[in-house]
Amino acid sequence: MSLILQTILDGLVLGGLYSLAAVGFSLIFGVMNVVNLTHGVIVLIGAYLAYAFWHGLGVDPLLAIPLVMAALFAFGYVYQRGLIQLAVDRSSLLASMLVTFGVALMLRNVLVLVFSPDFKSVTPSYAFTVFFLGPVTIDLVRLSALGASLVLLCVLAGVLRWTAVGRVIRATAQQDLAARLCGVDVRHVYGITFGVSAAFAGASGAIIGIVVPFSPPDEALWTINAFVVVTLGGVGSPSGALLGGLLLGLISTLTSQLIGPQFPNAMMFLILVVMLLLRPSGLLGNAFSGSR
Amino acid sequence: MLAEGIRAHRWWIVAAAVGFAVLLTAPAYLTPFQVRVGQLFLFSAGLGVAWTILGGFAGYWSFGHTAFIGLGAFVAGAFELHVPLGSPVATMVAGTALGSLACAAVSAVIAYPILRLRGIYFAIAMLGVSQVFAELTNNVDAFKGTMGINMPNAVPASMEPQTFFYYVFVAATALTLGVAFWVKVSRLGYGLVSIREDEDTARMLGVPTERYKIWAFVLSATLTGLLGIVYAHALGYITTGSVYRTDFSLNMIVYALLGGIGTIVGPVLGSALMVWLTQVVLGRLLDVHMFITGALLVAIVLLAPHGLVGFARKLLRRGAGGGA
Amino acid sequence: MRRFGRRDFVKTVGATAAAAGLVAAPAVRRADAQAKTIVFGGSVPLSGRAAETGLNVNNGYLMAIKYLNEEMGGVEIGGEKYKLELKMFDDASDPARATTLIQRQIDEGVDFFLGSFGSNIVLPTAAITERAKRPMVQSGGGSDQIFTQGFKYVFGMFPRASRQFISSVEFFKAMSPRPKSISVIFTNDAFSKTNAEGAAKDSKAAGFDVLEMYGLPEQITDVSSVLASVRSKTPDVLICTTHDQNSLLISRQMVATNTNVPLLYQTLGPQLATYRETLGKFATGICVQIYWDERAPYKDKFFGTAQKFAEYYRKHVQRPIAYHTAGGAACIVTYVQAMQAAKSIKTEPVRDALAATDVDTLYGRVKFTPEGDGDAILLGPAVGQVQKGVVQLVHPAAAKTGTLIYPTPKWSEKT
Repeated sequence: MSLILQTILDGLVLGGLYSLAAVGFSLIFGVMNVVNLTHGVIVLIGAYLAYAFWHGLGVDPLLAIPLVMAALFAFGYVYQRGLIQLAVDRSSLLASMLVTFGVALMLRNVLVLVFSPDFKSVTPSYAFTVFFLGPVTIDLVRLSALGASLVLLCVLAGVLRWTAVGRVIRATAQQDLAARLCGVDVRHVYGITFGVSAAFAGASGAIIGIVVPFSPPDEALWTINAFVVVTLGGVGSPSGALLGGLLLGLISTLTSQLIGPQFPNAMMFLILVVMLLLRPSGLLGNAFSGSR
Repeated sequence: MLAEGIRAHRWWIVAAAVGFAVLLTAPAYLTPFQVRVGQLFLFSAGLGVAWTILGGFAGYWSFGHTAFIGLGAFVAGAFELHVPLGSPVATMVAGTALGSLACAAVSAVIAYPILRLRGIYFAIAMLGVSQVFAELTNNVDAFKGTMGINMPNAVPASMEPQTFFYYVFVAATALTLGVAFWVKVSRLGYGLVSIREDEDTARMLGVPTERYKIWAFVLSATLTGLLGIVYAHALGYITTGSVYRTDFSLNMIVYALLGGIGTIVGPVLGSALMVWLTQVVLGRLLDVHMFITGALLVAIVLLAPHGLVGFARKLLRRGAGGGA
Repeated sequence: MRRFGRRDFVKTVGATAAAAGLVAAPAVRRADAQAKTIVFGGSVPLSGRAAETGLNVNNGYLMAIKYLNEEMGGVEIGGEKYKLELKMFDDASDPARATTLIQRQIDEGVDFFLGSFGSNIVLPTAAITERAKRPMVQSGGGSDQIFTQGFKYVFGMFPRASRQFISSVEFFKAMSPRPKSISVIFTNDAFSKTNAEGAAKDSKAAGFDVLEMYGLPEQITDVSSVLASVRSKTPDVLICTTHDQNSLLISRQMVATNTNVPLLYQTLGPQLATYRETLGKFATGICVQIYWDERAPYKDKFFGTAQKFAEYYRKHVQRPIAYHTAGGAACIVTYVQAMQAAKSIKTEPVRDALAATDVDTLYGRVKFTPEGDGDAILLGPAVGQVQKGVVQLVHPAAAKTGTLIYPTPKWSEKT
């Protein structure tokens, strides 16, 4: 019994990380239908930036999150306006995906050149603290990661719901033509959305960095995880990402415990496919314009 | 319809025939390295064209066609390992047939449900399918994905292996091109294009969209599997990581886009360019070739958004306009 | 991080492509122009999962060649002086790329090859070099399949994966108190899995009770459920036949979930300084397989001792030295000694000399089995244990630099 309880708890904690790591992907997909294959690499850049702050300046990775987010927001905005939008205009939405694939290759190469191919790891003082809750063990790093993820997801949900920028983003996602008619600068909104997305990807990277060791080839993993989370939860909303992430975490640990430790990935993709077939707009079904 | 198509495309057919004649004689004066580059080109071109039957004609972009490379290769490998026939060549032929058949069967089973998805959702579902196959191959001991399979050696003693597989690739790629051409000029092809342009209207006008899509999917998957099986034999030893590669899936799209999406000649040109760049030009670089490959992709989408074919058409049109 | 504008990157692409063209052209010409150069070819993975080890091995090759050319003024073989040259390419862990590009080197007349990593790369490339009858000495592919093909020109610095636990099981037997039970964690790649199966087989044969074999996917982000199982069914020795990054993930999560075992034994990981710094005091007591240590009393014809090789390396390279680096350097040293023994730089005699090799090198005494892999006793691993942040050798008795701590304290009691 306590084993099951432990497994569920582990799954939820892991799921919190997956949620935050996927929310940016979900937002871009929901608002502009762009599949951003650069996503995983941006997550990693966040992790490397946090590593640089921690290793170079001794800044705690959780405190470095605002800095990482600011830097990546700027990156995301420029990336969208300078490259993605250009590709969408000149070619097609699906072709823009190839641009993101190309940029992912480039950035991964740059990470290898700048930080070497070695894995890196960030260990703040609280990295190894454990506490016990009855029969279950909880590890502080993962718990604080979950906490930080939830806080950030709430912030994003709040921004989207109550601020002017958020309203404009949502309006553009629903009907870009109508938004344009109302005087919205859609391109600027796209840029901001991309920036926000990159910022949250970076934040999740900073958090991931204190939980697991990371190296440049991991980027593919985080992109693919984002795909799964978004399909499970639904496109374009923080709550969808949260739900999808938590489910993914649970699926992962439960499969590993009940079926076998080598099968969580297989199960995760199987559920991805089945979900798509049964309910392509995700469990919450609150997709913007992306699904049909 | 076929006769008409042949007449309309006669110059293309002549060009293809000349091309294949050149390819058939090429190993006589190429170095072994160039033969291997040729192998890779034929493999890539075949994959691009096989993908095009579904992705280019019908507009159903798959992100997971490597599923069939892997499936075909592992089915063929397992068969040849456990049921060796009299001669190695017979074993290879039987394994190849069985592996291709497995791809056909599996794709036919998943076709109906998965083709109900459209656009990016179909693409992601295919990515998921390929990952499921890869994970199961790697983690279920019986499939031997981790330890790998030694493919039986069917190369005749009088022949260099790279030359032998070069010719096998020529055959497989020719078959792929032939099928793609047949699809293009048949009723099926016109139906697929109508699906790409507007699926709902096509259905309303009486195009049997479901049936057409399933046909395109099964053909595309089977040919991809066939090419994958040949590739596996050419390597001689495969693990999950050699045949289930997401970069295969994405490269098929790159070839098609680079050459010109929806055409048959497009992926052939695209793969020729990419293989030449990545293997010949960038082959010696130690650490920046990935960066350059990425940069080239970006440049291609931005500078030649409709591919080499589109670019050539634009040039031709501009030339014609200038002359008038 | 610098962002590239469109104009910038068009420029960069143009420039790099042009540069690539320039680099490519003279390389071909030079190969014929200088007759008295011995060229070593082959691939290393410098991008992708195996890049970290790839870099270490490549540095070993580079340093050995630099030393032999600059400090020794070249090597003398059969009365003639030769310079050495290295021509490696990045295979990016892609077998298609590796096989195509290895063929190019064969066509260009490269006679001697060094190897890559991962059996799915090494095996197809070795099949090509074997067919061309060119020797390959490699320190990256340890999987059994490479050495059971009947290849005659392929040699490995490591014993095949299934034999890499022979010396470790001897170590378990020598421990006091003698442990009773063992569990193994591995990832589903050929190397890790073969290693794990070898460990289980040898442990069972030696009378240990193998409790569980935990197989994991190749890439992991969480091992909580495996650890939960380890807590409920705790072995005396927990073996992880995992690669560096995964080993650290496992040990970190063991600390963070308070999963205690009397001995944690990892094939790879703790030999890296990054690993030990990350874990800090918690690293104490973790055991690791050590194939080479610069303090070991190995004599080398060219470098003198293992220690001197390490010093030379540190003078020229920033990156911390790893045993893969020494393994890489040993490939070159072994090659050169085989050529000197054969008094020839023709492939056939060199192959025969390699097969007969029995020499002392900076990496230890190098001797190959008839199938070509490293001798399981001579080139098998010693056992190290992290004590106060450094790795001390605790087995075999002859190489000891420290005494084994066993059972190791619980995480919460480590200081």
